[in-house]
Amino acid sequence: MIQPHDSAIVRSLGHVVIPIAQLFGAYVLVFGQHGPGGGFVGGVVIAASMIMAILIFGVDSADSTLARKILHGDGLGLLLFGGVGGLCLIGGGQFLNYSFLQIPGLDEASQHYAGILLTQIGVAMDVAVTGVSIAVSLSFEEDEISQDEVKDA
Amino acid sequence: MNSHLPILIFLVPFFVGVSMPILTAKRPSLCPDITLAAVIVMFLLAIANLYMVQTEGPIEYALGGWTAPIGIAWLNDSIAAIVVLTVTVVALLTLIYGRVIVSADLAKSVPYYTLILIMISGLVGLVFAADLFNVFVFLEVAALSGYALVGAGGGKAQVYAFRYLLLGSFGATLYLLGLGHLYVVTGTLNMADLALRLPELMTSTAVVGGLIYIFLGLSIKMALIPLHSWLPDAYTNAPSAVTPLLASTVTKVALVAWVRIEYSLIAPNVEVSHVPVLVLLEELGVIAALIGGALALIQTDLKRMFAYGGISHIGLILIGVSLGNDTGFVGGMFYLINDAVMQAALFMIAGAILYYHKARTLDDIRGVGLHTSPWLTGALIVVAVAMVGLPPTGGFFGKWNIILGALEAEHYFAVFAVIASTLLTFGYFLKVFAAWFHQTEFVEAKSIKISSGLRVSLGAISILMIALGLMSDSVVQILLESVNNGGI
Repeated sequence: MIQPHDSAIVRSLGHVVIPIAQLFGAYVLVFGQHGPGGGFVGGVVIAASMIMAILIFGVDSADSTLARKILHGDGLGLLLFGGVGGLCLIGGGQFLNYSFLQIPGLDEASQHYAGILLTQIGVAMDVAVTGVSIAVSLSFEEDEISQDEVKDA
Repeated sequence: MNSHLPILIFLVPFFVGVSMPILTAKRPSLCPDITLAAVIVMFLLAIANLYMVQTEGPIEYALGGWTAPIGIAWLNDSIAAIVVLTVTVVALLTLIYGRVIVSADLAKSVPYYTLILIMISGLVGLVFAADLFNVFVFLEVAALSGYALVGAGGGKAQVYAFRYLLLGSFGATLYLLGLGHLYVVTGTLNMADLALRLPELMTSTAVVGGLIYIFLGLSIKMALIPLHSWLPDAYTNAPSAVTPLLASTVTKVALVAWVRIEYSLIAPNVEVSHVPVLVLLEELGVIAALIGGALALIQTDLKRMFAYGGISHIGLILIGVSLGNDTGFVGGMFYLINDAVMQAALFMIAGAILYYHKARTLDDIRGVGLHTSPWLTGALIVVAVAMVGLPPTGGFFGKWNIILGALEAEHYFAVFAVIASTLLTFGYFLKVFAAWFHQTEFVEAKSIKISSGLRVSLGAISILMIALGLMSDSVVQILLESVNNGGI
C-alpha cells in the first residue's frame, strides 16, 4: 500500500506539476495530428500524471479522485475506437475509412481529422486506464491488505 | 454490405465483450446469455460469409480503405471462411456445454465471459489477417485472454497459467524477432507482397533466420513437440467449462497462421543449404505425431491423455500441409477442422465425467460406463471412432488424404507415421474403454440423468463429427478451390 508522501516540498510541487503534466498529455494527444505524438504517447503522459498523484497523495486522497474514477472506464476507449470504425461501416465504407464518417457539416478533410482525433482519444483513454490500473494493482499487496483489515477489526 | 462480413464477424464478439461490464452492470447473471447470443450471431454471419466466398470468390478486405501493400488487409478466402465457421461452431457448442459445467463463482464472473469473447474475436482476426504484424497482434490478443482463462479457476491452475504465459510470451517474442528480420530485408509485412520478394532472397541468412524464428515462435503457440510442455498441465488444470474451447481453437488457429505463412512464403522444393525446408517440417510433424501418441499412451489422467492426443494430431496436420502437393495440403487442412471438433468433444466428455462422477484418472473411471448417462458413452464412442479414423467420420477422410498425399510425394516415412499414430490412438482409447466398461464386482446397471444443455452439445458435436465425414467431399472441394485460386 502506498502511503501519502509527508514532505511539504513534494506535496506542493505535486500540485504544480500534475496539472502541467495533464495539459502536456492533452497537447501531445491533439498535436499527434500534425507532428510526433498521438493517442498512445498522450495516454501515457496522462497516466503518468495520475500515477504521480497516487504516489504523492495516496490512493484515497481527494487529489487522486480522477485516478480512482478512471479505473471504472476500462474498455470505454475501445468502444470509442470501435464505435468510430462502426460509424464508418454504417456510412457505407470499410471499417475505419474516415471518408465515410457521416458527420453533418464537415468536408472530407475534416471528416478524416475528426475520425483520427476521436480514435486517438479512444486509444489515449485505454492506455491511461491501463497505466493507472497497473500502478494501483502493483501498489497493493494482498498480505498487507489483510493485515490492515485485521488491525481495523 | 456482403463484403463487410469478415469485420462484422470480428466486431460482434469484440463489442459485446468490451461492453459486457456495462451491459451486465445491474444483472451479472445475464452474462452467459449475452455471450451465447453474440456467438450465435457470429455463427450466422460465418455461414453467410462462407456462402458469399463460395459464390463471389475470395476477397481482400482493406481496413480504412487503404489497399494491401500500404494499408492493412484481411484475406477472406475459402480456408479462412471455413476455419472461422469451425471456430464459431465449436465456440457455440462449448458455450452451451459451459453453461452446465461452469463452477459457481465463474458463472457470474463478468471478466470470465469478457475474456472468452475477446479470445474468440482474436482468433477470428488471426484467421483473416493477411499481414505478419496483424498475425502477431491477434495472436497476442487470443493468447493473453487464453492465459487468463487457464488461470481463471484459481488454485494450482494459476501456476500453470503463469508458465503458459512465460512460454507463450517467449514464443511471441521469437515471432516478433523473425518478423523484424523479414521487414528489414524486404521492407514489407504483407504476405502477398512478401511472397513476391522472398523466393529470390532464400539464400539470405536474415530471411532464413527470420523464418526460423517465426516457426519457433508459432510452434510454441501450437504446442509442437518438443515445445509442447506448457499444454498438458495448462489444459488439465484449466476450468472444465472453458478447456474444450481452448483445446480446440488456440493451438489450431496458431497452426493455421503458420500454414498461411508456409504456403505463401515457402515454395515447394525450396532448399536452404541443401536442406529441403518442407521435408524438414514434415519430419518435425512425424516426430510430433509419434512422440505425442506414445506420450498419450502412458498417461493415466484422462484430460492429460486427451491433451497429448491433441499434440500428436498437430504433428499429423503439419505432415499433411508440408507434403508439397494439393492432396496432402487439403487433407491436412481438413484434418485440422476435424481435430478442432474432436478436441472439443474429448474435453467436453472429460469435463462432464469430472463434473458428474468426480473422476479424473483411468482408475477413477473404472466401471463408470455402467452407471453414467448413455449420452456420455455414446459421444465417447463416436469421438473414439473419429480419433482413430474409421470411415463414417471426418477423421478417416483427413488421414486418408494425408496418406494419399504422402504416397504421391513418395514420402513413405510420413505414411508410416500417420498409420503408427493411428495405432497409438487406438491403443489409448482401448485403455479408456477397458476402464470405462470394466467393473470388478457386479453392480446393477443404471444411468444418471445429465442436464439438457449437455445433451444438446454432446449430441450436436457427435453428429458434427459424422457429418464432416459424410460431407467430406464438398469440404475438400471448398478447400481445393482456395488452393487453385492462386493460394490462400
